Amino acid sequence: MKSTGFKKTMVAGIAVLGLVAVTACSGGKDGGDSSGDSGSDAVAPAGTDAEASIIWWGWTPGPPATDHYIEAFNAVYPNIKVEWKQLDIDGYNAAIAPALGTDTVDVYEMSAGSANGGAEVYGVNAFDLTADVEAALGADWKDKLSPLGVDYMTVDGRLVSLSAGAVYAGNLWINEDLFNQYGLTPPKTYDEWKSVCATFKENGVGCFVQGANQGAFNIDTYHELVEQVSPGAFDKALAKEVAWTDDVFLQAMNNWKALFDDGIMQEGAAGLMQYPEANNLFLQQKYAMVMMGTWYTMNVQPEAMITAMESAGVSNPVPFTIAPIDFPDMVGKGNTGIMFGDADYGVGVSLKSKNAAASKAFALFLGTSEEGQQAVADSLNLIPALAGITPNWDNIELVNDSQKQTVQDLFAHANEATSPRFGNINADMNDALMMALSNVATGTATPEKALAELQSQAESVG
Amino acid sequence: MTQATVATRTEAARKKGQKRLQHSGLPWILPAMILVVGLIYYSVGYTGYLSTLDWNGTSPTVKHVGAANFVQLLHDKVIRQALWHTLIFYVVTFTVQTTLGFTLAALLHSKLKLRTLHKVIIFVPTVLAPATMGPTFRLMFSADDGIINKGLRAIGLDSLAHPWLADPKTALPSIMVVTIWQWTGMTFILFFAAMSQIEPELLEAARLDGAGNLRTLWYVVWPGCRGTTIALAILGLIGALKTFDWPWLITVGGPGRATEFLGTNIYREAIREYHLGYGAAVSLVLLVLAVCGSILMTVVNRRSTK
Repeated sequence: MKSTGFKKTMVAGIAVLGLVAVTACSGGKDGGDSSGDSGSDAVAPAGTDAEASIIWWGWTPGPPATDHYIEAFNAVYPNIKVEWKQLDIDGYNAAIAPALGTDTVDVYEMSAGSANGGAEVYGVNAFDLTADVEAALGADWKDKLSPLGVDYMTVDGRLVSLSAGAVYAGNLWINEDLFNQYGLTPPKTYDEWKSVCATFKENGVGCFVQGANQGAFNIDTYHELVEQVSPGAFDKALAKEVAWTDDVFLQAMNNWKALFDDGIMQEGAAGLMQYPEANNLFLQQKYAMVMMGTWYTMNVQPEAMITAMESAGVSNPVPFTIAPIDFPDMVGKGNTGIMFGDADYGVGVSLKSKNAAASKAFALFLGTSEEGQQAVADSLNLIPALAGITPNWDNIELVNDSQKQTVQDLFAHANEATSPRFGNINADMNDALMMALSNVATGTATPEKALAELQSQAESVG
Repeated sequence: MTQATVATRTEAARKKGQKRLQHSGLPWILPAMILVVGLIYYSVGYTGYLSTLDWNGTSPTVKHVGAANFVQLLHDKVIRQALWHTLIFYVVTFTVQTTLGFTLAALLHSKLKLRTLHKVIIFVPTVLAPATMGPTFRLMFSADDGIINKGLRAIGLDSLAHPWLADPKTALPSIMVVTIWQWTGMTFILFFAAMSQIEPELLEAARLDGAGNLRTLWYVVWPGCRGTTIALAILGLIGALKTFDWPWLITVGGPGRATEFLGTNIYREAIREYHLGYGAAVSLVLLVLAVCGSILMTVVNRRSTK
């Protein structure tokens, strides 16, 4: 009898275990908004008066900019609490993929092309926001938003993410205080650059720092070097209109190699990450120059600079003056200052969000409203997506007043850019470019061999 | 009833009892079995299914490609590189860890002062999480102001200062050094325990036969630790094949692919480059290699002990 009772208990236990497992498995599927995404199922974002709490996942820009965005949002939507969750740029894909299968995340960042959180891949998990944007901006909404944001955040005809703004690369940033301290002027040619570096090194200061073990930034530098040889050639190679083995790319690759051989790149650059290491070294004022794009502009503000310096391990940080400069001319053709850019990140609303209305309200606020875009503009982190929005300089505190003009010049320059940064580079080409550049940097491959392999990769990825 | 009949019946009853015991044991292991079969083997099976796909992991469009991922894998230069790195890594780390672990265990079985403190110091790296130590090692190996180069310069060995993680020739050895630092403690503890099991009479006999310390270690203690060494060899092989944390945290598999392993390649392919099917195919290869390697070592060990 005992045995039979025991068996029954065991069978019942196993049945319960199975039921729990089945329930747990199915829970993920039905746990979120089950409405699906029909493309026109817009949950009215306006007039969201009900209390709600949403979680926003992203890798950029982080505090204090994100605090200011949320603050501006809450001025309009006081009942919606937004929680920012900062993720590491390199670990973003690994974290976001499983999270999107649950209701853990409401609003999440996506990027153009092959970069982390690519809209091409993760857009499938987001609502189509076309109808919502049209409701917010009118039928001519496309004319009001930057085409960079609309084009690269539209996947299979669905607007999966609303771009907060664009970033551009191709320039360098210098520590103006260090340049002034040693009586140096920003280099315009390669010879001047070598001379500047020699002076810094004589004084025990690092010259130029780049984390060449983080490939995306290597692509930026190489892209700029190609532009110096032949503007537009980089895009043509990606479009397969010209081979990577062409002399243009060889010349640029030789120049890339020269940066290492001539000691412009710091010793051990190929083992260093751009974030956090190269960024930290620049913010610790151990190096005077760094390869960063327009996203670095936010550091002209004391609050952002202090936060960044503290994150870099500087105790009692005193903000210093940074300034953007054109990448020095290594070719002698005068093709300097050419920039390229993409929508930096867009905010999408997860299909699994239990607070879709509130989440859409936030995405629309950040990407399409004047208030939200003004907050973006004033953070100096991005060039806003909404036409006509520019930084309100009266509200912006600068480390040094001279930075207003340099930033305005940089943004004007960036707005002339016609070439995308990563938007046209798929994941395979991204990897192939990173490998080619790394192999040349470490001497594992000659420029010729690396470009031949790159071309071979380009042909194989179709 | 003869004595033989009684014995037969007793034997039959014993077997019956054993059988009943076996039956009644099933419900006890069933929940664990369901979990194991449900989670592990289902996951292996699902990985097998994924390996037949060309899929980014999120797209509603799933393309079935059969064995194409495995064919691609055979021609993948990076995979060959990763396997070569794994082999070198295994041979070096296993040899050094075994030598150090065995020597330290033998030393701590002698009349050394502060033995417990020494044991703790040797074992501590094993329990430290790579995620916390990774950034520390990056700083230590830093070309600029890393403690290793600083130390070398401080003692006048400037010429030996080197960008350890930036040079493909030294990046992999750097990862090996860190791995040895972490796992020697575990090797030491296992050897220490194995040495404790050796009969003191055996050691005494060796002494009486005139064997010195080294001879005793080589002819008595080392053979006595054979089982431990084989277990460590198998665990080391599986560990080498699964290597991910240190190379990813310290060098991100670079520079280039200088510290690429199967584990880092799986992550790179499946997560970063959105080739989930290909990543699954590499995972299966890793699994097969680990299982085959373990079986091979066990068989070789059994044959050599016969």
